[in-house]
Amino acid sequence: MAFLNDETRGQVAEMLSDLPDQVRLLVFTKPAGCQYCDVITELLTEVAETSAQVSTEVYDLTVDTEKAAEYRIDKAPAIALVGAQDYGLRFFGLPSNYEFSTLLHGIQVAGHGAAAHLDAQSKEYLATLDKEVFYQVFVTTSCPHCPPAAAMAYDMAVTSDLVNAEVVEAQEFPRLSSQNNVMGVPLNVINRSERVEGHAPSSQLVAAIKRSLR
Amino acid sequence: MFDFKISGKSQRKSETKQYDLIVVGGGAAGLTCAIYTSRDSIKTLVLEKEATGGLAASTGLIENYPGFPEGISGLELMEKFHQQAERFGATIQEFEEVTEVEPVRKGLLRVHTTEAVYETKLVLLATGSQPKQLNIPGEKELAGRGVSYCATCDGPLFSGQDVVIIGAGNSGLQEGLSVLNYAQSVTFVEFLPHSPAEKILQDRVMGHEKSTFYFNHQVMEIQGDDQVTGVMMQDRESGEIKKLAASGVFIYVGYSPDTKFLQGLVDLNRWGYIESDAEMWTSVEGIMAAGDVRADNPAQVSIAVGDGAKAALAAREYLAAL
Repeated sequence: MAFLNDETRGQVAEMLSDLPDQVRLLVFTKPAGCQYCDVITELLTEVAETSAQVSTEVYDLTVDTEKAAEYRIDKAPAIALVGAQDYGLRFFGLPSNYEFSTLLHGIQVAGHGAAAHLDAQSKEYLATLDKEVFYQVFVTTSCPHCPPAAAMAYDMAVTSDLVNAEVVEAQEFPRLSSQNNVMGVPLNVINRSERVEGHAPSSQLVAAIKRSLR
Repeated sequence: MFDFKISGKSQRKSETKQYDLIVVGGGAAGLTCAIYTSRDSIKTLVLEKEATGGLAASTGLIENYPGFPEGISGLELMEKFHQQAERFGATIQEFEEVTEVEPVRKGLLRVHTTEAVYETKLVLLATGSQPKQLNIPGEKELAGRGVSYCATCDGPLFSGQDVVIIGAGNSGLQEGLSVLNYAQSVTFVEFLPHSPAEKILQDRVMGHEKSTFYFNHQVMEIQGDDQVTGVMMQDRESGEIKKLAASGVFIYVGYSPDTKFLQGLVDLNRWGYIESDAEMWTSVEGIMAAGDVRADNPAQVSIAVGDGAKAALAAREYLAAL
């Protein structure tokens, strides 16, 4: 059964038509306890079919442990979006509903090797980073405000080699969500310490990064 | 079973700084106007501080907008508006906030944003409204920690838990329906002695086995330290204070206009809504208003669409006479 209808498939093809770099979508699944692992594999295959520049590779988290470690994947389903280099873009969960936009944004920025929206001041700050930044965005697939927050994280990650961005579908990972006390989305968590609620401007997120590195 | 939506288009900012019409706000009214004007070869820029769609995009299901007999999700409807405006050539820039509208002379206004200054012959203010806050203890402190204004976004996080919805009007009941899909119980607290919502919504929610209603009650405080644990409310008739345990509190007590940056520019009523005439003109020449931000306008997509269309027709006439 195809998940993408013809209209959506056409839109995706258009959005991914001008990627300068190849994008590999590394999908990590597991054989048990993963409600959407089959769906995600099929979905990404359909996405890859729309563009010669996009390909998928499927790994089993329980078998391909070295590959999982290489891409810092510790749960499934997961997607590592890798362009000309690994910019640190990850999506945990099924990118359905509104989060499909986040997946497409991730593919676009990975394929361009550049942010789509990030302002000059944020870029200047990110260029000065000398420590790693672990930037998580918790989302739900029914949240219309979440894709721009996730896009911001991906834009920052593609801009700086020191920023790794994980978008986490909160419902699919209840323990992680509970550990992070996720009660509203989008929720940005920087270096596991600084929380920024909602889709915040880049200046606010840069300030949170600065606080987390003190 | 699964839906895959494409929103928040990846777009590069326009280099052009001169337009015939700048629409401030990319909700139903603004996008409708842009559909009309761009189709009419009026060079139109829509500036939206968030993603386009406005309040309607946060509405789970819109059932009373004509043309969709089964209803349509707010975001999907607004995406169609966005696509239609772009199809006719409107430039739409998301995540760019207007900070000032500066009338220079007849036929020239400057629009200042967080990123640039634009020049235009005409401005349409369609900034819409946003959910009103109660301003009670605990509301601000616990925002994002159980207090929410978006059931569509956060409802799934309260699966199997007890939830309170403050406000049993149209928005409260409509969004309550989505929360009922997840929560163990949903208690609606309404200030009025009755629900002001449409009867069809009342019938759906009041008959639901997981819903409970308190009418004529005022919520005094949202309680909790790190996260919401409940609410304290008062029976407005007896004065009795009651406590309800809950993990989540969703607030739907009406809307307030997004007009702070317009104070001192156009006439506003005492609640901050823009005063305008039947052709959408404000008190300042060259500046129109449309949609929820207009005084005495019910917050309905259909009405915003009508406003946007009327503003576009008035804009065409005005520009032709310049």
